[in-house]
Amino acid sequence: MSAQRRKAIGSKAERRFAALFLLPSLLLLLIFRIIPLFWGFTLSFSENGEWIGADNYVRAVGDTNFRDSIVNTLLLLATLPIWVMLPMLLAILIHQGVPGGKLYRAVYFLPAVLSSVIVGAIFNIVLRYDGSLNAALKVIGIDAVDWLGSSSTALGSLIAVQLWSTFGMSVLIFLSGLSTVPDDIVEAARIDGARFWQRLFLIVIPSLRPIIEFVAVVTTIGVLTSMFGLIYVLTGGGPGTSTTLPEFLIWLEQGRLNRPGYAAAISMFLFSMMAGVAYLQIRIMSRNANV
Amino acid sequence: MATVGRRERKILWAASVPMALLALSCIYPLWFAINNALKDNRGYILDRFGWVNDPTFENFVTAWGRARFSEYFLNSVVVTGGAVAVLLITASLAGFALAVLRFPYRRLVFIVILASMMIPVQVVLVPFYKTIIGLGLLNTRIGLILSYTAFFLPFSVYLMAAFYAALPRELTEAARVDGARFWQVWWFVMLPLGTPALITLGILNTLYCWNDVLISLLVLQRERTLMVGITALRGEYSTNVPLLAAGIVLAAAPIVLIYLVFQRRIVAGIAAGAVKG
Repeated sequence: MSAQRRKAIGSKAERRFAALFLLPSLLLLLIFRIIPLFWGFTLSFSENGEWIGADNYVRAVGDTNFRDSIVNTLLLLATLPIWVMLPMLLAILIHQGVPGGKLYRAVYFLPAVLSSVIVGAIFNIVLRYDGSLNAALKVIGIDAVDWLGSSSTALGSLIAVQLWSTFGMSVLIFLSGLSTVPDDIVEAARIDGARFWQRLFLIVIPSLRPIIEFVAVVTTIGVLTSMFGLIYVLTGGGPGTSTTLPEFLIWLEQGRLNRPGYAAAISMFLFSMMAGVAYLQIRIMSRNANV
Repeated sequence: MATVGRRERKILWAASVPMALLALSCIYPLWFAINNALKDNRGYILDRFGWVNDPTFENFVTAWGRARFSEYFLNSVVVTGGAVAVLLITASLAGFALAVLRFPYRRLVFIVILASMMIPVQVVLVPFYKTIIGLGLLNTRIGLILSYTAFFLPFSVYLMAAFYAALPRELTEAARVDGARFWQVWWFVMLPLGTPALITLGILNTLYCWNDVLISLLVLQRERTLMVGITALRGEYSTNVPLLAAGIVLAAAPIVLIYLVFQRRIVAGIAAGAVKG
């Protein structure tokens, strides 16, 4: 039994090397992420070095900027089905051999490799009142819209640009998932007389379920945490608070307004939103890794 | 769904039209940037949407020189290169330990590394910034390199661990029987065998580091990386769209080039997290 046990935990040299090899990773994560998380939690109960209890949280709940950022987040999350369905549909069509599919696959991913700053800077010009989108709409008889300058369209524009710049990534993930759907089952269904749509909804989409879950989780994490660059360049959070999301508000509070404790409190709200989704992602990943 | 009937082919042709438009929209911004970068400011104001008439490279010269993009470019190259190198070594070491070596709490360590993905930089913005200042890393390239490593590390460790776990255990055991020490197993066996995964990670992390703006804004406040440079260019020359376009082309060119050359690797890397393989 003790030999068995020794085998499970490795020899002394093995353990020592494992600790040595893991040290750089663990140190970096501890110093820059894990300790700051707990530090931030303590900070959120203080302002300028003074302990103020839960005041920052109470203030956040009453702060219209913060509430607006939460409402914006909920509106953003409400569009999630589009972020999943559109790439899935495109991937299925490409997998089915749509004419030009290989080219589309390569081109769709192009925006995803561009920095959000670059995407934002370009769309900031394209979506201006006198920009090329309005010029193009004029040709087909639609009146010009101030896409980024009016609070009723700014959030929608921001969401559309982010969707545009990331859908190619999801298309790729769905395509790699589709390549694992066994062809013979689909073929057998076809021979049995199942129509295109029946095969799609009864066989292909159900077998994509793990991929759908993965894309939904990754997309949610993406919209919660990787829109800073785009907001910073495209809209600056405005007009008003109409495109302010929590991650951008944290930036504003810690920098321009110099209220680190309050920024830390909002961070904890963002963390609690993140943690749930990230937990799902970690479960999927550790299931796939076989480690 | 290999065989397709005639009716279905019609559906596919019909679907191809909006898909082609979508593809055009993906190319348009790049065309927009290149096309306008070649105009002079007057030419842009007179004709904002049309093809450039007599192309000039003046904007690239101005962006590179007077707008200091040569400095930004160097900063981005140094920081991205450094961070990718540190990331690959760190992730390979950790991945090897997690996948091959046996030690107590192995699974727990793996979960902790993955779980740190729950802590994006926005969540720890204030304490992270204080940490950078406290360690004397503010406005240093090494500070940004270490920050990038910390924030992009978990996925890299994950991928390396999954890659090494799929290799036959006999490789390590044979090398051990031949008298190799563990660091030798890592250096002579695992590092060379891990090349495909390391290349994929190298490319993906290059994209992430090169494109980052938030961490760079915090850590390098005096010097700038290219992406911060673009935001500055917008502020300083807000009416000069061709100059901004030239800056955008300079900043995007390396990444687009990498994408065109390594497309398959990037696709493989992105699929790796999603599909059990």
